Amino acid sequence: MKITDACVYPYPYGDSSARRMALEAKALGFDRLVADGTQPGEYYGIEILSGILIRDTSVRDLTGRIKRERNNEAVVSVQAGDNGFNRSVINNKGVHILRGLHSADKYAFDHVAAKMAADNRVAIDLDLSPFISGRGFTRQRAMHRYRDILVLERRYEFPLTISSHARSILEMRAVREITGLCSVVGMDVPDVEKAFVGVDIITTPPDPSVKVI
Amino acid sequence: MSTRPPTLREKRRYLLVRIEPAGAFIDQKDLYYAVSEATTSLWGDVVAAVIMTAVVASDGQYVIIRCQRGTEQDLSIALSTITKCCDIRIALRMVSASGTIESLREKIRKIPTPSLELRSSCECMFDKKSFQTSQCNGQKIDVIEKGFKNTNRLFLTREDLEEL
Repeated sequence: MKITDACVYPYPYGDSSARRMALEAKALGFDRLVADGTQPGEYYGIEILSGILIRDTSVRDLTGRIKRERNNEAVVSVQAGDNGFNRSVINNKGVHILRGLHSADKYAFDHVAAKMAADNRVAIDLDLSPFISGRGFTRQRAMHRYRDILVLERRYEFPLTISSHARSILEMRAVREITGLCSVVGMDVPDVEKAFVGVDIITTPPDPSVKVI
Repeated sequence: MSTRPPTLREKRRYLLVRIEPAGAFIDQKDLYYAVSEATTSLWGDVVAAVIMTAVVASDGQYVIIRCQRGTEQDLSIALSTITKCCDIRIALRMVSASGTIESLREKIRKIPTPSLELRSSCECMFDKKSFQTSQCNGQKIDVIEKGFKNTNRLFLTREDLEEL
């Protein structure tokens, strides 16, 4: 189980190269990064997984895009929309993470979507960038949404991931700092540890319910 | 007014914090305002009054920040929400906490000083663009694009430059 930052944006999306982010992640206590728009690899002992973020698209286009990306072994994540869209995304085989619920509609993620996420092993991402760089209403809304998501997570036990959405090494935070930030929304240390290894859960195939001996 | 006896004084703790990126010169007062704003914004005036934050010393890349004993965790969470100080992008990395300033100063002395080479005249290429080296520290290289318009700093490694 590797401690993973589930989304960073290296150069050209950000101002730091993937190698530099790996170097920084090592110093901050991470084992793995999911980097958008980067080739997978390993730098300075940190595993880099390639990430694909799909946003501003219809469900039909999304299905086609996921089919094309299925052989890439990339972590596929989709930007959340309204409730209907999110349910379709969660039902779609090949989607690993649903992101951006802090800025989505208030009813975008309900108990039905939570149950579906648990059944299909789709992770819900806790983006910490509104906590780090947001102030006032933006941060308050994110805190409120994450508290709501955590209530559903405790009931339905769908996977969670934690990401910094860092575009620079200056926006990356240490494991201890992230644990502190998550404590603001009521996550204790085991909860955070579980969320850090959420990428492991979604990228490994589930154990078959029937074993052939 | 006479000084209170030690048992009646407020118990304080000191945090040793490193400012990143290397070479960012931040005024102690400006940093205090940034820390104070971050603390108040995250915890509100009530908790900020309990934390009683103050930037008491700075030594190059390191600063020592004071708080009330028992509020170190709250302060360190607030410190992780600082992204800017006087329009300069920074990050504060917590290094250590202690009950005395002297022990933190001792700790700063023990931290091996990286061979920080300031080679502003060194030119390099990355992504088919020309850059000037700003800071070099081991594998880490910070560069600034040459020209008048784009003066943003890029954070690279030696391997990134060697690849081209």
